[in-house]
Amino acid sequence: MSPYAVETYALTKQFGEELGVDNLSIHVEQGKIYGLLGRNGAGKTTTMRMIMGLVRPTAGEIKIFGRDYHQDVEQTYSRIGSIIETPGFYENLTGSENLKILARLRGIHREDEIHKALVTVGLDKEPRKVFGDYSLGMKQRLGIAAAIMHQPELLILDEPTNGLDPIGISEVRHFLMNLCRERQTTIMISSHILSEIEQMAETIGVMHQGRLIEEIQMEDLRKRKRQYVEFEVSDENRATLLLEDKLKLMDYSVHEGHTLRIYSHFNRRAEINQLFVENGIGVSKITISEEKLEDYFAGLIGGGKIG
Amino acid sequence: MVDLLYCEILKLKRSKMFLFSIMGAAAAPVMCFIGCIKSKLQYYPDGIITFGKMFSETNLYTLVLVGVTLYGVITAYLFSREYTENTLKSILTIPVAKTKFFVGKHIVLFLWIMALTLISWLLTFILGVIVQLEGLDLRILFDSLGHYLSGGFLVYLLTTPFVLITLWFKNLVPTIIFSVIITMGNAAVLNDVDFVSLYPWSATYVIASGEVVTKYPLVDSYIVVFALSIIGFAASLAYFRKMDIR
Repeated sequence: MSPYAVETYALTKQFGEELGVDNLSIHVEQGKIYGLLGRNGAGKTTTMRMIMGLVRPTAGEIKIFGRDYHQDVEQTYSRIGSIIETPGFYENLTGSENLKILARLRGIHREDEIHKALVTVGLDKEPRKVFGDYSLGMKQRLGIAAAIMHQPELLILDEPTNGLDPIGISEVRHFLMNLCRERQTTIMISSHILSEIEQMAETIGVMHQGRLIEEIQMEDLRKRKRQYVEFEVSDENRATLLLEDKLKLMDYSVHEGHTLRIYSHFNRRAEINQLFVENGIGVSKITISEEKLEDYFAGLIGGGKIG
Repeated sequence: MVDLLYCEILKLKRSKMFLFSIMGAAAAPVMCFIGCIKSKLQYYPDGIITFGKMFSETNLYTLVLVGVTLYGVITAYLFSREYTENTLKSILTIPVAKTKFFVGKHIVLFLWIMALTLISWLLTFILGVIVQLEGLDLRILFDSLGHYLSGGFLVYLLTTPFVLITLWFKNLVPTIIFSVIITMGNAAVLNDVDFVSLYPWSATYVIASGEVVTKYPLVDSYIVVFALSIIGFAASLAYFRKMDIR
């Protein structure tokens, strides 16, 4: 049995002249949460569409549960639940009727499975409301209900918390984490919001302009976060010269707002401060801090923020 | 397939389109009914209008004028809503095979068109009874029912080009425009013995009624209708199977 629920090798999708996904190789471990992170337009949705068989790859290979995704399509995809972008349902039908359609097509004829899914996402209170009258958050919840109703082994969720309020986001996050922990459901989730992925995923794949920039275990990533002492100074250029000349300190970086980050020799911060002051450099703030993941990712995708 | 058909029918629950289509199917019988009353009251108070004539005229208007546009709209609605309501990706990832899904849609379209054909026939009969038309007998009833059902079936066969246009544009509007153009073509060739049997949509009436005098043998009309239907079906299925769901 393959240790991976989803694997792609050199997966590529070209839309005319444009490369939507470029030579992507990812590995989603069974029973784990995999976060696909990237800015809008990075190629996350196209990747998920290809995995779900909605879009034909231009080149490359996709394996699901260790087998080529074209093999035994019915058996393979019946083990998957998905939300790709905005969940789509019939506007003239209630949530329950919409789920009934999907359940029947999956071969589920038990009404209690539908009710259970609605209760899970908190949509059982307004049974007569049609989907067209749902709020964005309710629509997203119904999408989640549809994805989990048949108790899939693999969930592929493309930005599933779009439109949810902070409490809703937290509820969904805990629900998915429980699902992974209690039922060993593999979850592949995409987002452009770093904090969302950071709190859930065990492995992160960072995409940028269609390419996989990095695939890393969250644990390893946390180890990489460095501590630093940050000085806010009146003249950062002179300050860096002093650091190099007088203290032979090279492990630093300069940031916006006249700040310097020094990644070593924390215990010499008083000495550094004294050096700056004695040389006429004003020091308005000194803090000891830890590098944020956001900075790390911004560095990976060539500056700017994620999202 | 039974589950697929059940779901297709469930999708029409509370759908305004279903009610709209019944109103559309009633248009031709009501138009003919009003024509009968007007004719009796204004022009020929002593004239006789028979059930045969009423059935024949209603079928003509249904097949040649109202039907093409109405069935074009229904076709566009059935196939385009999966795109406009973003539901296609949910269905296909269950997974439901594209061919099975496509055939399921066609079966529902066929049933819908035949149901509307029956409604049109039944309404013609009821309105004929109300206005006390002459010449009602079982032969007229069965013959007219046969003409209506065969006409409905032939018009259904010619929905395949509408399906292709709907899948291509993923929208109702181009298909409606196309159906209006086809209807205008019908009006243009209806009295033209050279073209009435060769223009696919008017050929349906030529075949179904068996009353129209044409220059070409009836088999030519069959060839035109079936050829266009098969080409439309094959092209739309091939396109649907090949296209990405974005």
